[in-house]
Amino acid sequence: MAIETSSLPSPGGFAVPGWVRQVGRRLAGALLVIFGVVTLTFLLTRVFTADPSDLLSPPNATAADRAAVRARLGLNDPLPVQYLHYLRDLVHGNLGTSYLTGRPVTADLLDRLPATAELATYALLLGILGGVTAGVLAAVFEGSVYDRLLRVVTSAGLALPQFWIALMLLWLFFVKFGLLPGPTGRLPIGMDPPPHVTGFYLIDSVITGDLSAFGPALAQLVLPVLTLSCGVWSPLARGARSAMITALKSDYVRTARALGLARRRIWFVYALRNALLPVITMLAGTVAWAFSGSVLVEGAFGWPGAGHYALSALEGSDFPAVQGFVLYASILYVIVYQLLDLAYDLADPRIRS
Amino acid sequence: MTQLPLQPIEPTEPVGLAEPPGQPQTPLGRLAATLPGFRRLRASGTALPLGLGLLGFLVLISVTSPLWTPYAPGATGTGLFSAPPSGAHWFGTDSVGSDVFSRTVAAGRTDVLYTLTVVALALLVGSVWGALVGFFGGWLEWATLRLLEVLQAFPALLMALFIISIVGPGTFKVILVAAIIPLPDFVRLARAEVLTKKNWQFAEAARMVGNRPAVVLFKHLVPNSSRPLLAYASVSAAWVVGNIAALGYIGLGIQPDAVEWGSMIARGQSDVVSGAWWESFFPGIGILLLAIGFQLVGDGLSSRNRGEHR
Repeated sequence: MAIETSSLPSPGGFAVPGWVRQVGRRLAGALLVIFGVVTLTFLLTRVFTADPSDLLSPPNATAADRAAVRARLGLNDPLPVQYLHYLRDLVHGNLGTSYLTGRPVTADLLDRLPATAELATYALLLGILGGVTAGVLAAVFEGSVYDRLLRVVTSAGLALPQFWIALMLLWLFFVKFGLLPGPTGRLPIGMDPPPHVTGFYLIDSVITGDLSAFGPALAQLVLPVLTLSCGVWSPLARGARSAMITALKSDYVRTARALGLARRRIWFVYALRNALLPVITMLAGTVAWAFSGSVLVEGAFGWPGAGHYALSALEGSDFPAVQGFVLYASILYVIVYQLLDLAYDLADPRIRS
Repeated sequence: MTQLPLQPIEPTEPVGLAEPPGQPQTPLGRLAATLPGFRRLRASGTALPLGLGLLGFLVLISVTSPLWTPYAPGATGTGLFSAPPSGAHWFGTDSVGSDVFSRTVAAGRTDVLYTLTVVALALLVGSVWGALVGFFGGWLEWATLRLLEVLQAFPALLMALFIISIVGPGTFKVILVAAIIPLPDFVRLARAEVLTKKNWQFAEAARMVGNRPAVVLFKHLVPNSSRPLLAYASVSAAWVVGNIAALGYIGLGIQPDAVEWGSMIARGQSDVVSGAWWESFFPGIGILLLAIGFQLVGDGLSSRNRGEHR
């Protein structure tokens, strides 16, 4: 006879609930990967370059400047000591000073975060909702004209680079038809943003009642959000379609049909809930895509976010800024990824038990 | 994690040759059926022949481009500046008067060559690495898996840009960096293949007749895992095309004036906003066709591996 081990008291005398152990394991895993990311970044910058002071001092620095940088960064110390100092700085949020802006990289990134967050949030929402809906409908009407059309459109959405989509949308809606504003960032030139509360212009203008900025801010958002969401909904539509097809061909759907349940109930209650599980794991990939995409999309639209900052930093050889952005994006990605995995664990009863 | 969710390729038993398809109905079909390889192609549906045809076409026109394009891709002032498509310049001209058609076709050479090199490198290194850790296991396997987790924690393109900003530009470095992005997927796939197959009968038989482990691995296990790996190589090539173009667009690594699709799109960027869409539009279509070609071949190969013959 099988014994339910998870409910047995542990040697300490009290039972640890399964989900606590699950969360603990995920947390430990995330910390380990973040530690790896930080270490790899250190190794790449300090070990694989002949003289890191080349990277960490401005391009026009003199020999004396470099010597000062070396001394300040402790580059004359043994490598393990350097590593400990690097970790200490990181924990304090100290990523060095940008050559281009002359300010701490952390402050620069925090300033630009709301712009990126606003863009990415809407793009992810649109992409996830649109992609899953499109894919589920394609599965329900498998083989129809719509299904085939979606296949073609998602293929193109996956194959076309985002910077190209951005340019073509700009040409179509700004240059040709004049329906939407040009690539001037979050607001038309010369317009003041709404009072700062959340940093999301749309939300801020509603909360503070300053609705004059709402329309222009929304118009500026349309094209960047559309561009960024292409890379989100194309893979999700494909994934949702194949997950839904698998669900529709399963035994429990056949049973439900045999029992005479309404088709809509079968599709949207029984099949859909099971089909959404594998989609959860796919979301992590789209988040990573949004991070990479933000660099290219923000550049194309003059969007003053963290991605644009990283792009300017790349072009201006502003190494501390590039390193800071990559570290933050990766750490954020690891956290999101682990949260999604956890959501999956908790949502799937087969794993939960 | 892959940067974009790709369709997983389940390890499958090695499938034999395709079942004989039904007799072709049309005269042309009967003629085609006499060609070698036709049966296998047909068995995998339309995706594979379509993709192979598209890739073949792209390789052919781009490789032979020096012989027949109307203008040299680097030639400036071949017509008016930023002129729209016309009879003399099918795809128009760019801001220095170069012929966009000639440049787009010639750029295909760069992108095709880079993509094939990058994928070949990732496939080769990834297969050997993955096969070794799958076969021998131990601490090497543990360390590999941890390293892959860390590598894949970086959003792919950011990782590539970051490394290039450290190691500096150069053709060879761009190829290496672009190959690091898909590498973890190849290692994982090769490891999974070898792990599932190493206790199958053919492997056991190979061991039992006294072959050394290395021979069992590389003469028996790896060749039997090649189908899913090749199918994945084609799927992954579609992403590599985009990554190469993105590196060219940002102007890192690849020379800013190189005849390459991403660089061409960047060069036309400022003109697009003043109406000259053709300068960036056509290179994008090149990227689209090449990526779709690889996608189709990848889809065709993986459905053939799953044994979904029609």
